[in-house]
Amino acid sequence: MTTLQLQNIVKRYKTNTVLDNLSLDVADGETLVLFGPSGAGKTVLLRLVAGVIDPDEGRVLIGGEDMTDVEAEHRGIGMAFQNFALFPHMSAEDNIASPLTATRSSADAIKASVGKVAKLLKIDHVLSHHPKALSNGQKQRTALARALVGSPPLLLLDDPLRNVDAKLRFEMRLELPRLLAAQGATVVYVTQDYKEAMALGDRIAVMANGSIRQIGTPEEIYNAPADIEIARLFGDPTINLLDVTPKKGPHGIHVELSNVEVPLPGAPEEVVGRDCVIGIRPESISFTTAAGAVPVDVEAETPLNEKTVTLVLTARKREILVSRPAGTPGPAQGAAAIAIDGSTAFLFDKATGALVRKTATAHGRNGEAA
Amino acid sequence: METTSPLERIFRFVALSLVVLFFMFPIVWIFLMSFQTNETILTIPPTIVFSPTLSNYAALITGKLTTSAGTLDIAFMRNLMNSVFLSVTSVALSLVLGVPAAYAFARHKFRGSEDIAFTLLSFRFAPPLLVLLPLTQYFQWLGLSDTYVGLIWVYQLICLPLILWIVRGYFEDISADVEYAYRIAGHSWFATFRKIALPLAGPGIAAAGLLAFIFAWNNFVFALVLASADKQPVTVGALAFVTSSGIQYGQIAAAIVLSVTPTLALALYAQRYLVEGLSLGAVKG
Amino acid sequence: MASTTLSRKPASRFRISRKVLPYVLSLPALLVCIGILIPFVTAVIYSLQRYRLSQPWGRKFNWGENYWNFLFNDPGFWNTLKISLLYAGITVTLELLLGLGIALLLQRRSRINNFISIMLLLPLMIAPALAALMWKLMTNPGFGILSYLAGLVGLENFRWASSPDTALLTVVLVDIWVYTPFIMILLLAGLRSLPTQPFEAAALDGVPRTFVFFRITLPMLTPYILTATLFRLLDSIQQFDIIYAMTQGGPGNALTVFQVEAYLNFFQSTNIGRSAALMVILWAITYLLSNTFIKNWLRLRERARGEA
Repeated sequence: MTTLQLQNIVKRYKTNTVLDNLSLDVADGETLVLFGPSGAGKTVLLRLVAGVIDPDEGRVLIGGEDMTDVEAEHRGIGMAFQNFALFPHMSAEDNIASPLTATRSSADAIKASVGKVAKLLKIDHVLSHHPKALSNGQKQRTALARALVGSPPLLLLDDPLRNVDAKLRFEMRLELPRLLAAQGATVVYVTQDYKEAMALGDRIAVMANGSIRQIGTPEEIYNAPADIEIARLFGDPTINLLDVTPKKGPHGIHVELSNVEVPLPGAPEEVVGRDCVIGIRPESISFTTAAGAVPVDVEAETPLNEKTVTLVLTARKREILVSRPAGTPGPAQGAAAIAIDGSTAFLFDKATGALVRKTATAHGRNGEAA
Repeated sequence: METTSPLERIFRFVALSLVVLFFMFPIVWIFLMSFQTNETILTIPPTIVFSPTLSNYAALITGKLTTSAGTLDIAFMRNLMNSVFLSVTSVALSLVLGVPAAYAFARHKFRGSEDIAFTLLSFRFAPPLLVLLPLTQYFQWLGLSDTYVGLIWVYQLICLPLILWIVRGYFEDISADVEYAYRIAGHSWFATFRKIALPLAGPGIAAAGLLAFIFAWNNFVFALVLASADKQPVTVGALAFVTSSGIQYGQIAAAIVLSVTPTLALALYAQRYLVEGLSLGAVKG
Repeated sequence: MASTTLSRKPASRFRISRKVLPYVLSLPALLVCIGILIPFVTAVIYSLQRYRLSQPWGRKFNWGENYWNFLFNDPGFWNTLKISLLYAGITVTLELLLGLGIALLLQRRSRINNFISIMLLLPLMIAPALAALMWKLMTNPGFGILSYLAGLVGLENFRWASSPDTALLTVVLVDIWVYTPFIMILLLAGLRSLPTQPFEAAALDGVPRTFVFFRITLPMLTPYILTATLFRLLDSIQQFDIIYAMTQGGPGNALTVFQVEAYLNFFQSTNIGRSAALMVILWAITYLLSNTFIKNWLRLRERARGEA
């Protein structure tokens, strides 16, 4: 276990600034997920921590010690790569053993350690195979085993589930937290999948264009996305975003959708009359037959595993996604009405995209991330 | 593929036969000639029916040529040994110099690396005599004229660009992540170079070495300018042999056969890499 | 699991080694570079001097006089320029046409085609100087098979390299024999790497084959043709081995191309200033060619790396 601190890291490639004055603290034993779209600089950041790329400015501290100028082999890090990066000319066993051969461990001790981690990852039966003879899942587990075998205090996982099929990804998403917990290591985990981020991270750092936009627990990010972009990245189906101008009426602050008032309990006075974007999670909307609901046209329905998503159009032809648990009754094609739970809606400033009012009540983390 | 008409097939057959005849005939003819006595060779019209003799090869290998006029010493075997020694050591040195440099150029894009790589490449295309003529004088000052050391150094002009550019391509083909993974696993850059980069680029390095050997062996002008008789490789030696032996055509043919056999054998062995080597890594076969 | 203790070395030591490492690795190659640059500069200096080994006392800078002489009172130079360009032009044109033709004949992957293409590479693997000797034996006026064959078709007394009229033809023939396989093998690799869809589509649509060749095959093959041609042009304008081994530049000054002329000037006439000036001019020509060449070559190389 150890801590990781990045201080004012700048990395440029030619004129392109990939990391822009980035700072980050990862606590002892914490699993921090770096989340963001491709090109955000996540992978570069990870390599910088590993010591195979030098920052142009800034410092990397591991366990409080300045490691900026220390070669990769002396940083004591375990790393798994997105493309596995197995050594093609070595057997799985030699691949996994490579972090141990650098130390002066005895051959027996190495064999025992490799066997143990291979058993843990269920690849003990393919240890003699070369990477070419391994399935994608086995390659991924071999790469993971190689990262874990030396029990490194700091573990860097670069989107390790990216290149495996959906079934395996699902299994590993359940298995990984247990594995990482057993290691007790400090983990930096890179992913582009928000569900993975929410399932694995003690905290999530959302990256875009070389800097960290928001950092917090999964709940914080989900319930108070710092801006529209982050709100859009977290949640499936994607959050509904509609241009609105909140008004103040006899029932408090509200927005009007198709001439129906949707109250926003607890919204601050400052939003009144301002051009805003309202963000409503699809699961905060439900079909209703009660009076005072927003009239819509049902366009299409997509049944997913655990939920059903319906696309509806408002009178002004604005698209809204509605989510309901699978198996519950839904509306027929044609006219319907929806009720919006204004207490869970976000308001963003239209000009800056920044959050101006966060949701009044918390969403369950696991219910949405499953 | 389209169906071919009989006419076209006949045309293709005839055309290919002519091509094969033109390119193979000289090799076959000289090979046959090397087993003929001078009398057979001078027969008009030329014949391909003859009783083969090994006397030409025997004369070359023993280094003694007995003619009616007396006995003549032939230095040809020495030339052959020179060729072997010069080519092998030049390639070995070139690998020692070129492989680490190729690795540096492929992996660490440092300031000026491209310029150096291209300068080395441009040597491949500069007129050799431009450098060789002043070099004769420098070699005299340095005491390198007519030494193996001097020749091997100059041979780097042929071998080094070839090895540098081919091997660099093979290093570039290795995923950087694979090397990073080994570094992060706790190994030094040198261990990574030895245990990861070298084995993975191994076939390319071997091929580049073989090709460099062929080019070194076939070189003519460097040794012509810089070497005297006892340091000469076969390319220059054979020419001198023609002048000195006068009319011993059978032995000249045998000398040519002995001189070209090593490169032809290596070319057949390394043919998979020839295209890449000949184009300095621009085209993969 | 227990965490391993790590041997962490002082930080400062590694900063230096990491920055310097690539230079250390390429330093030896660099030294060879520099070792070659020195004689290069010397050659340029010689070319600006009046420098004859036969008259060492008369050595002095005459600046552009060697070059000036080339232009206005040195028919030998114009002969050299003419022969060199002629030689390069004829050999490269013929080799390109022949190489392209053979590549097209061998384009289809089959065992016999692959075998033939490997066989055809053999002349390329023979030292050009030795290849010239082989042809010298075959064109010997006394017993050479080619002289005999020439006689059969009515060319009695066809003297090949020993006559000024046919010397160029003879060395061109040897050059073609040695180097056509080079162009062939490059174009064959190019042809075989072309995508198949355009050709399949054209065949389905019944597009005439001449049209397919000129409108699809040739344009797609152009980068390979350019690279092969420039590569050969660069070599051919500097040809020395074949010509020197065959005729040593003769008969007379029939084959005194740049490098042969410079060699003879240096070692026979010992006119070092003129020899160096000739080489500098040849270098200028090849420099221009090689810049164009390297651009094309790089593009092909990128492509080959991309496919890997």
